[in-house]
Amino acid sequence: MFAALRVELMRFARAAALAWLAATPAAAEDLPPLTHALTPIATPQPAPALKLRDLDGKVHDLARLKGKLVVVNFWATWCPPCRREMPSLERLRQRLENKGLAVLAVDVGEDVETVFSFTGQLDPAPAFPLLLDQDSAVMQGWKVRGLPTTFVVDAEGRVVYRAIGGRAFDHEAVVNQLQPHLPVR
Amino acid sequence: MKKILMALVAGLPAVAPAEAQSHRADPATGTETWETRAHGVALRLTQILPDQARAFYLSRGFAAEDAELYATDCVFMTVLRNDAAPGALGFRLADWQVRVRGERRALRPVEDWLALWRERGVPQPARIAFRWAQFPPEQEYERGEWNQGMLAVGLPPGERFDLAARWQVAGKAYEGVLTDVRCASR
Repeated sequence: MFAALRVELMRFARAAALAWLAATPAAAEDLPPLTHALTPIATPQPAPALKLRDLDGKVHDLARLKGKLVVVNFWATWCPPCRREMPSLERLRQRLENKGLAVLAVDVGEDVETVFSFTGQLDPAPAFPLLLDQDSAVMQGWKVRGLPTTFVVDAEGRVVYRAIGGRAFDHEAVVNQLQPHLPVR
Repeated sequence: MKKILMALVAGLPAVAPAEAQSHRADPATGTETWETRAHGVALRLTQILPDQARAFYLSRGFAAEDAELYATDCVFMTVLRNDAAPGALGFRLADWQVRVRGERRALRPVEDWLALWRERGVPQPARIAFRWAQFPPEQEYERGEWNQGMLAVGLPPGERFDLAARWQVAGKAYEGVLTDVRCASR
């Protein structure tokens, strides 16, 4: 019985080590800081199309969110800065949703099980839609070159901010940048 | 702690003052990091151990022999960041060079890797993960923008080399050379 338990524990340890290695190629204490600002777009242009299914199979269409300020975040579970910034995105949603902010997080190239099991580890867990771009076609339509990349789409459907690399989305400086674009002040 | 030097050249061939660089080793994993912060730009290379790269790609659908090809190609977690440059920073990896034993080599383009994976029958989800886990082939960063991604320099474990990273800010060319960088040996 104890031998069987030991085998199970070793199997668990191997799986945990593999998961850590797979998810964290760089040492945790050696991570670059998250940025506290968004990049304004000098001449806002209409956002590209975005229509994808979430983890429950429900279709979400950015075009149907006109009238809201929408944060569109492209990410993947294996991307270290994406993992770090996601809780701040949920805190931002909690803070500004009642003023007309919505968040869409677009996972690139992964399946429902992978995304679901990852987000269960987050605190706070995301309550915004997690969309699946399994062939990365939508992301390429948005001309994303690296993960994470985030766009902010105003109530008229124009891209007004961009953020390449990880952000602390609930930082006061970011919130201050978003305030003037919120439909409800 | 060993210091390395990086010369930043603005408007080649004029040489800007050399900046001291940092080198450190993670006490838990032994992985080494080389970094410079100069002229408002930060460049960092951190070793990815072959075991780490193997685990990463095996768990994303690569066959063992395919993961091995990449894991043993001297892989670094690379970060380039525009902290306070006087304008947008633009770069293309095609302009970067690996300098080893007096020889200058280009980095292997990500498209070449993807062609190899298609040829070897690596599944599409694994190829997508590979593509987006790499440091971007080209990018433009406004102040505060950055990426973190994998970069294989195509050298055997333990080899030492210099990396010449090139970028442009406000129409001026810069070259940052990280010297005496070492591929992970295990």
